[in-house]
Amino acid sequence: MGNQLVFLTPIFVRNRMNKSVNILSAFSVTVLVYLGIISAASGDPFTDRNASDAEFTFVRLVYNSAPAMYQGYGYGMRDSWRVDWPDAENHFLQGLGRLTNVNKSAQGKLLSLVDDELFDFPWLYVLEVGSWVLSETEVQRLRDYLLKGGFLMIDDFHGSREWAGFIATMRKVFPNRPVHEIDNNHEVLHVFYDLDNRIQIPGMYTYWSGNTFEKDGVKPHWRGIYDDEGRLMVAINFNMDIGDAWEHADHPDYPEPMTALAYRFGVNYVIYAMTH
Amino acid sequence: MLDYLLKYPQIVYDQGELIFAREWPVWIAIASFVVILITISVMLLAKRTTLRLPQLFCIWGLQLCMVLVVLVVLWQPAIMTEKLRAGDNVIAIMLDTSQSMTYSQADGSRMQEALTVIDNDAISALQDHYQISRFTFAHDANPTESYETLPSPEQMTLLGNSVRQVLSMSRSTPLGAIVLVSDGADNAGALTQDQLAELASFNVPVHAIGVGQEEIEEDLELQEVTLPGQALPGTILAARVAVRHDKPGQARLKIYDNDNIIMSHDLELDEGNKISTAWIDIPVSDTGYRHLRFSLDPWEGEQITENNHQSRVVNVKEEKYKVLYIEGEPRWEYKFIRRAMDKDQSIDLVSLLRVSQNKFYRQGISSPDELVEGFPLTKAELFKYNALIIGSIEAASFTPEQQQMVHDFVSERGGSLLMIAGLNGLGSGGWENSLIYEALPARLSQSNGKFIREKAKVELTAAGLHSPMLKFDQDINNNRKAWQELPEIADYQLIGELKPAASTLLTIDVNGENHPLLVNQPYGRGSSYIFATGGTWRWQMSMPLEDQSHETFWRQLLRELVIDTPGRFFMTSQVTGDQISIKTEIRDENYEPERELKLTAIVTPQTGEAMTVELHPSQDIPDLMTGEFRADTSGLYDIETITRRDNEPIASARIAIYHDAGKAEYFSLRANHMLLQQLADATGGRYWNQDELDELLSAIEFSAAGITQREISPLWDAPLIFILLFLFKATEWLLRRRWNTI
Repeated sequence: MGNQLVFLTPIFVRNRMNKSVNILSAFSVTVLVYLGIISAASGDPFTDRNASDAEFTFVRLVYNSAPAMYQGYGYGMRDSWRVDWPDAENHFLQGLGRLTNVNKSAQGKLLSLVDDELFDFPWLYVLEVGSWVLSETEVQRLRDYLLKGGFLMIDDFHGSREWAGFIATMRKVFPNRPVHEIDNNHEVLHVFYDLDNRIQIPGMYTYWSGNTFEKDGVKPHWRGIYDDEGRLMVAINFNMDIGDAWEHADHPDYPEPMTALAYRFGVNYVIYAMTH
Repeated sequence: MLDYLLKYPQIVYDQGELIFAREWPVWIAIASFVVILITISVMLLAKRTTLRLPQLFCIWGLQLCMVLVVLVVLWQPAIMTEKLRAGDNVIAIMLDTSQSMTYSQADGSRMQEALTVIDNDAISALQDHYQISRFTFAHDANPTESYETLPSPEQMTLLGNSVRQVLSMSRSTPLGAIVLVSDGADNAGALTQDQLAELASFNVPVHAIGVGQEEIEEDLELQEVTLPGQALPGTILAARVAVRHDKPGQARLKIYDNDNIIMSHDLELDEGNKISTAWIDIPVSDTGYRHLRFSLDPWEGEQITENNHQSRVVNVKEEKYKVLYIEGEPRWEYKFIRRAMDKDQSIDLVSLLRVSQNKFYRQGISSPDELVEGFPLTKAELFKYNALIIGSIEAASFTPEQQQMVHDFVSERGGSLLMIAGLNGLGSGGWENSLIYEALPARLSQSNGKFIREKAKVELTAAGLHSPMLKFDQDINNNRKAWQELPEIADYQLIGELKPAASTLLTIDVNGENHPLLVNQPYGRGSSYIFATGGTWRWQMSMPLEDQSHETFWRQLLRELVIDTPGRFFMTSQVTGDQISIKTEIRDENYEPERELKLTAIVTPQTGEAMTVELHPSQDIPDLMTGEFRADTSGLYDIETITRRDNEPIASARIAIYHDAGKAEYFSLRANHMLLQQLADATGGRYWNQDELDELLSAIEFSAAGITQREISPLWDAPLIFILLFLFKATEWLLRRRWNTI
């Protein structure tokens, strides 16, 4: 399973995390994480495409990503959509079921933008979008999907280079729609929980490295793209890793307040998506 | 022949009572019969050597019949009748002098035909036996000396009213019967059962003689146009038109908004149908009173074209209606309903969404206090809304008092209730055991009504095809096609048997079998709907981006829910001929009738002086305030009713109507002999064809009204008696001859 390597690493990492974590160890962790992801990918995630018998299905967007050498933005990798899959959504769905009245599926679902079923699921989650590559058809379908009422949560991409990679593709989807900072009064921050104190939610290995940010993404940004009626349709969690906090919710070394906050953001996004 | 054999005409037997004039005790007759029976039996048994048993039995029967007839004759049978005493009684003749009697037929006008009937010998013969009172009538009955000079034709006929007036005027006179000559074309529509019962209570038979033709092949009549009195801008009005015709064909209906033609529609008038109906969609956009005129192009040779037109006024107004939507779980249907309604300026959709067990999320509220305690706890709070949507939430989430309030919201407040399917909705939510269940249009089942997440196709029913809320296109075929092209929905609930007043507007195809999906019914002052799916959002997500089907469906459905919900001050009007009645109801915030209020209507005609009409409590319905006025000129009538308490105005309401003065008589133009028959039957009289009038005098003779005398008519000498006696004896003789016993 995709998280096997991740669960093997804690002792290894914990022994080195006491005070000073150097760049090398952080690099090692990163390599191991990627190795773990690649290991997880050795199975066929598309076999888990069973249709949901629930109102809400957590759909993770499958996209093509280009390595840095192809894109020129660095940090790109093939199949980066798989990061944190499937534990992130499986953990989050349990929390969503416990905390809200949402009738949710037991597991998440994988869909690409060209999938016939895409429009049956108005919720999409996508991460590592610094290296995403969308075809013209995918761009068109994503635009239609969002304007019809679908909701896209973007997570886990960091620094100016990845932003540039993300926004280059997003500009194809919405050439003229600006990206706004979500201010504290926005309904998405109050629809279920009042999220007035927003702090950066780091990935587990970043946290272990003693930081809360990655690359040059020091400051977290909650950004959004709105439709013509002012409704949020794309929630952009930039310079943070909410998915990692979900994924490691059961990890003894990941700080519980971060996980709790990540759940709260997730819950608010889902409730907002289902009400606006 | 029968009259000869029985000695008297049949009417004597119909009206009279059979008696025995000989006042001998009945036991003597029985005893005599028994004695004779024994005697005959003994005598015949003595002859058994000459006759076989069947022959004996035959002779025995014949002799017994003859003895029986003789005994009946000895007891002197007779018919006892009550008859009008000649010379002492009054017979009223009523002649219809309304406009419709001037209608020309091949052999003259109806009036000429009526005067010929009155000059008939049979009618003239009445004068030899009774005093005659003559009346003309149309709207009212008026006494007249003779029919040589007739009043000008009147523009309206009220048959029941006129007969009642004659009966009332004749209370002090011995009125034996009324002879009424009319075409039966009554503009009040028909005689109600109450009117007939009232007329019957006078015990004076009305003998009706019909004139005129019941079919006029060359005439078209736009009999009725039904459409809502008010509408929201941007909606489509569904108008139902009914055309009276006596031959098949085609008719062109033109619709004008004031003087501008807005549409033309060809109607197929089917063979075999006297009345053909059609639904026509009329889009309305601009606000204000819209004077819509419906006009049928005349057929060739049509004499009367005044009955080809009808006018209606529709008040198109920007009004804010409030709809409360309570939902038990976050779900996509909720989101997409809200999105569909976001741009609707006429409806405020206020929603209460249970996002967790203890948390409700409010949207669309107009103040921070609105619904702050959750679902309304008082009638005043709930009744502010025009419609209520209940989604996927259990009945147990509502207190019994709240359930009763929802029931009353429909039945008393006149609101609309829409229940939509869901995991905890309808049968799965235990609503069949709730106090609201009675108001719902279908039975619910907990076992069969589970929420099923499977794809299924929605289909339009014949009733749904004409429903304004289900119109995607004004053209009926395009509309049907639009529905066929909608993507499948992916969830539904099966509902149980429909209640008697319910209609199915949409169905769902489950494994080739159609099940009701959208059903509704009127309930009390309001109406209730069930929409057994929560999956229409898939129309929005699956159809092309520019498609508006989902938005249109929900906007039209919610507009339909609210448009006819009465406000606290509710006013309607009714036109009968040139008489216009106003009816109002005033209710407090709990929709309890408000009393001790003074109501005044200010009526402003398009031409002429404004008038004031005081409204008073209706005799039949005390909560209803009514008043009426006469509209003598054609045009728009603006009616504003002002409510006062202690002379202080507290509320007002306004409507407008268009009245075609003096046109009532052109409608219901065809002779209605059935109505005359109804009147005659209800009062104990008879409907007469003109070739049967010879019997009229004798029929009137037997009236029980007026001054009567009892008459006993003997029957013992009726020819039939003697024929029977002869037949019995002759048959016996012939049989004995045949058997060679004599």
